[in-house]
Amino acid sequence: MAELSFAWLGERIKRQDAGSVFLIAPLAAFELVFFVVPFLILVRMSLNANADPGFYQPAWTLEAYRAVLASGLYRDLVVFSFELGVVATVIAVSLALFYAYAAYRATGLRKSLLLFSIILPLLTTLVVKTYAWRPLLSPNGVLNDLLVGVGLLGSPVQFAPGMVGTVIGQVYIVFPYAVLSIYSVLSTMDWDTVEAARDLGASRPRSFLEVVVPEALPGIAVATVVSFAWSVGAYAAPSQLGSGAQTTFAMEIESLMLTQFDYPTGAAFSLLMLAAMLVVSLGVMRLLTGSIGGVEGV
Amino acid sequence: MSEVELTRERVEDALFRAGYWLLFAVIMLPIVVVFVTSFQRGEYLTFPPQEFSLRWYAQFFASAEWLSAVRDSIVIGVGASVLSTALGVTGSLAVQRSDSTLARVLPPVILLPLLLPPVVIGLTLLIYFNRVGFGNTYLTIVVAHTLWATPLVFFVMQSVFARFDWDLRDAGMDLGARPSRVFYHVVLPNVRSGVVISAVVAFIVSLQEFIMALFLKSYEVQTVPVLAWTSLQSSLTPLVSVVSAFLVAVSVLGVLVSAALMNIEWLAEQL
Repeated sequence: MAELSFAWLGERIKRQDAGSVFLIAPLAAFELVFFVVPFLILVRMSLNANADPGFYQPAWTLEAYRAVLASGLYRDLVVFSFELGVVATVIAVSLALFYAYAAYRATGLRKSLLLFSIILPLLTTLVVKTYAWRPLLSPNGVLNDLLVGVGLLGSPVQFAPGMVGTVIGQVYIVFPYAVLSIYSVLSTMDWDTVEAARDLGASRPRSFLEVVVPEALPGIAVATVVSFAWSVGAYAAPSQLGSGAQTTFAMEIESLMLTQFDYPTGAAFSLLMLAAMLVVSLGVMRLLTGSIGGVEGV
Repeated sequence: MSEVELTRERVEDALFRAGYWLLFAVIMLPIVVVFVTSFQRGEYLTFPPQEFSLRWYAQFFASAEWLSAVRDSIVIGVGASVLSTALGVTGSLAVQRSDSTLARVLPPVILLPLLLPPVVIGLTLLIYFNRVGFGNTYLTIVVAHTLWATPLVFFVMQSVFARFDWDLRDAGMDLGARPSRVFYHVVLPNVRSGVVISAVVAFIVSLQEFIMALFLKSYEVQTVPVLAWTSLQSSLTPLVSVVSAFLVAVSVLGVLVSAALMNIEWLAEQL
């Protein structure tokens, strides 16, 4: 019996291009040990009872979930995180559609420059991307000097720390990813379709809205989901560029885990947020693509 | 075309161009701020600076704390780059050549860490490593960064392998070469630049990442962005600009190396 099953296994492995089983094993093992299992442990941790700071009581209870759901403070944080997610996503994706289109239409050196400006911030640390805005957005910063100088503002406004700074910082963080998602779809588009629409009398804004945008929709969907997921989970921008009023769930998790050492509550809070984000993302995907098909090819 | 239409087209063109150059300027602005303020003289970060000096550079090279963070970042970056490139290249090769269930389930799974907020991954791994009692900070951060870098390597290699002519490999096999020799002599030379780009991107991603590194840091081991972050909490010091200027310079170098190996348009489509 055992011999038979070994022979069967051997046959299967041979048929599947022998080597590929051994090639895939390390990656599969890594994902299992360092992603799937840790995630299960996170779920298990969320069911423990929380005890004195720094300790938890092994248990099977929904107490941590109840504590999170009952807390008015947490509700405010969640609402703010989602607000920031929506605002940053709408701004980032609209600007990204425009910029990706510009990069798609550009040629030669101009195209290289536009693409370079996208890849460079992508590969720059969040720390740099956020703190560098502070001298620009502070009450005595460059933007205020400019706006007051031109006469658009009577007196300086505190953009950062504050909501404006937080949104600018967060849009700046997700913008390159949004541009690339849209650009990778646009770059496969045949320009002749747009020409045809124009020859048939469509104005340029109209041909953009009715030909280019539908064509780019899978890319826009991916850009939206990615921008949204990261903006709801924003940490660096609100803590560097926000005031106390711009506290997100990610900042609270950081404090729960690294200052208060309350593991069960941190775990339960994260899982609840992930569930909420998943529901919203699937909804957005369905809205934009008609199905949840276009997720592949990020 | 009428005169009015022509004028309108010209106005549209000008607005379009002004729009994307303005965005371009805004995108580059923080990076310019970083470089300029690293040469400022004053104690408190100001842009544009009043006076210039190299004092913050001198301070950086004299600081044992910063230099040890640089060492930690490099060790972790090299580790994450080697590990994610090995896992991503072999995994991608396997998925390309096989249609088993595992080969179909794996790509979405390895993509997931990129879509989760890094705070959640940081907390998940923190709990996990505490639970299993594994305390080597270098390795825990390497694992975290590998979770992020592997999908990038994997998908870059997917498109590289998709362009490779597999008949060449089959020819090598038919001539009697062992699979490992065929890989080394036939496949690798054709996909080498893809592998190099993957490794460079993985290194840069690890070098710049700071949220997971913040969760997993220890007293002895912390990366450059984490130290920059914690020192920003106390004051907005131009020393961080010096460090940031180095980090940006490494990225620019990486982008240029990749662009030289393959054209930048292709790279933009892969990332």
